[in-house]
Amino acid sequence: MSVRSYRGRLGGAASLIAILWMSPAFAHAVCGDRIFPATLGIDDPGVGDELALPTITAQPLNSSNQQEFDASFSYTKTIFPGFGLSIGDGPSWVTSNSQAEGGYGWGNISTEAKYNFLCLAEHEFMASAGVSVDWANTNINGMGNSYNTYTPVLDIGKGFGDLPTSLNVFRPLAITAEISEDIPGQYVTGGAQNPVMLNWGFTLQYSLPYYNANVAAISNDFVKHLIPLTEFTFGTPISNVPQGGYGITGTVQPGVVYMSDTWQFALEAIVPINAASGHNIGIVGELHFFFDDIFPKTLGKPIFGGAS
Amino acid sequence: MSKFVKLIFAAALVAASTAAFAHAQLQDSVPPVGGTVASASQVRLHFSEGVEPSFSSISLKDSGGADVAHGKAAVDPSDNAVLIVKTNAPLAPGAYTVSWKAVSVDTHHTQGTFQFTVKP
Repeated sequence: MSVRSYRGRLGGAASLIAILWMSPAFAHAVCGDRIFPATLGIDDPGVGDELALPTITAQPLNSSNQQEFDASFSYTKTIFPGFGLSIGDGPSWVTSNSQAEGGYGWGNISTEAKYNFLCLAEHEFMASAGVSVDWANTNINGMGNSYNTYTPVLDIGKGFGDLPTSLNVFRPLAITAEISEDIPGQYVTGGAQNPVMLNWGFTLQYSLPYYNANVAAISNDFVKHLIPLTEFTFGTPISNVPQGGYGITGTVQPGVVYMSDTWQFALEAIVPINAASGHNIGIVGELHFFFDDIFPKTLGKPIFGGAS
Repeated sequence: MSKFVKLIFAAALVAASTAAFAHAQLQDSVPPVGGTVASASQVRLHFSEGVEPSFSSISLKDSGGADVAHGKAAVDPSDNAVLIVKTNAPLAPGAYTVSWKAVSVDTHHTQGTFQFTVKP
């Protein structure tokens, strides 16, 4: 549910996606016995009132050996149950060196419209779809594109609580996945081609809150709030690729989420999968507030159709 | 930068200082989740938030999948985050499955399933 500026692709006020199953309200990312945490590399499959503030990222060194630091926020407001609008942005700092100039600025504002259209409670299976837009020329100091980028996105999540109790130890496992396509609003800018990007990723999670509530009691109060996880994110240009264009890029992000009742904190390492994705290891941390739990009767409920 | 940092602290303060009601998550139970006990005549679930007994429930099945007779779920008079169901008779030795559904005082729904064993 968060807009992720550090991958430089988010956004999306946008046209409302028209896949509409009838659905009950899913506040937070809860489906059956499963609560999916908010993740950093890809989005989670739920839609709820929430605020990610801040998301602090020290990116891996780029191909010019520059270090980039990002601080961003993302706010999601539900309009009606299962449907929300998000906005996100934030400043970036890039160090200068002998190869390239550094600087400070803000990326383009990004917005997203997203609908949580499916929850099969018994199978802890959840799916959402949305469209995000990265808005041209809403940046500061040129840290964004001069054209809109439109990104349709699909997010799914599957918990394994429906496994037989003989496989109890595997029931806290969950997988979430995302696929999206960045479509530039302008195919050539200043003589340079802007490629269409296919992005995909997934997370592997082991929920100790789930373990504590459904498998076996955990006595340590800190440990029973942890969700160790690893995220995998990839992107590759699929059309309008410039001459000598790059291939697949991506990251592997091992980390952990501490999930409280009304907030969570996530911390992950960012490991580039190849030289085109960066050098060395970066780090990202995020503090995330669940407004549906903090302000259930005001800011945290849908504008239309929410329970009073 | 300074404005951004101030915004972060302001948001954190607002969130931290607000009375929170949340999804009722199971913290612990008696008998314990996945545990073994010598005897039991009730199931006592402790949630992270207060629950509404009228909309919350606990069901209990034995190892053969048969319902175990029990009374209506009720909250502890001294703590509305504790939901209790008393069985009509002490439980016989064997494995049992508890399925619960909770509606917190702010109407959020949660649910879960776990097992425990009464030893011979």
